[in-house]
Amino acid sequence: MSPADTAAATTAAPSASTSPDDRATTFQAVKGEPEHYSGETLLVSAYAVLWVIVLAWVALAWRKQAGLSTRLDDLERVLDDAARKQKPGQ
Amino acid sequence: MSSPRSRSRKLQSRAFYALAAVTAATFVFEIFFIFLKAPVEVRMGIVQKIFYFHVPSAYAMYLGATACLVGSITYLTRPSDWSDAVALAGAEAACVFGFIVLTTGPLWGAKAWGTFWTWDPRLTTELLSVLIYVSYLVLRAFAGDGDGERRFAAALGVLGAANLPIIHFSVQKWGGQHPMVITGRGGGLQHPDMKLALSLGFLAFTLLAVLLVWSRARLEMVRSRLRRAEEDAIDLGLDTRAEA
Repeated sequence: MSPADTAAATTAAPSASTSPDDRATTFQAVKGEPEHYSGETLLVSAYAVLWVIVLAWVALAWRKQAGLSTRLDDLERVLDDAARKQKPGQ
Repeated sequence: MSSPRSRSRKLQSRAFYALAAVTAATFVFEIFFIFLKAPVEVRMGIVQKIFYFHVPSAYAMYLGATACLVGSITYLTRPSDWSDAVALAGAEAACVFGFIVLTTGPLWGAKAWGTFWTWDPRLTTELLSVLIYVSYLVLRAFAGDGDGERRFAAALGVLGAANLPIIHFSVQKWGGQHPMVITGRGGGLQHPDMKLALSLGFLAFTLLAVLLVWSRARLEMVRSRLRRAEEDAIDLGLDTRAEA
């Protein structure tokens, strides 16, 4: 249990403490101890990030393909117009 | 009767879908194996399982960078739409897998080192490499699509690949905190299921890298063909711009 947890536990049980000296009077930061992270959370985050990045790339490729489709539509339209203009005179 | 070109396209499509199916099956099996079969590491616990896709991602980044190098050298010696498309697709793959390496690594580091990032030689050179490929893509996106821009980008593609051996050997030459489990003086994976999980990871990511580079290069080829068709239309006096 960390000092902060101990302090919280001490203040949360007033009936067990009768003297003011028993109660927490300061809150102190943890020194020199690395932060703790849940391995499960980190693993799931890493796996999620992997697929998010790959899917973002697929979405980007899809967007580029949509842009090409628009340009292709324009080109087809222009070619159709040119063919229609050519037809009456032949 | 279909033309040889149409037959070739049909064959390519079948090969692509077959590869996609094999890749998906490999990933399903790999996920099953990593999470349900491979044992938990004794000191780091479950977070060590990041290793099974962090290392293959780095390897897939090397594959993308190699594709970019081959495409770039080919473009510099014999310019073609095909070689340029392969170089661009390889650079994008290197970027994507590089981002995966740079996010999964720090998540592992948070548990193992107590910090998300440190300026370790391997981490720093990896970041530098990803930034080179990002600059390649920025150049391609904003500097136009002429031969000069393509040549300049090809030179950048060669430079990006030159950094790969530096990443690989940095951990041996300059030390640092990065683990050396499967290379150099590393002790290796101590359980057969751990070795199999990593091997499956390498296979799955190799297939994914090939699939993504192939599909992206194909898209780029279509774009080049469309650009040429548009230029031909303009030469014939046709305006291809969309009407407002």
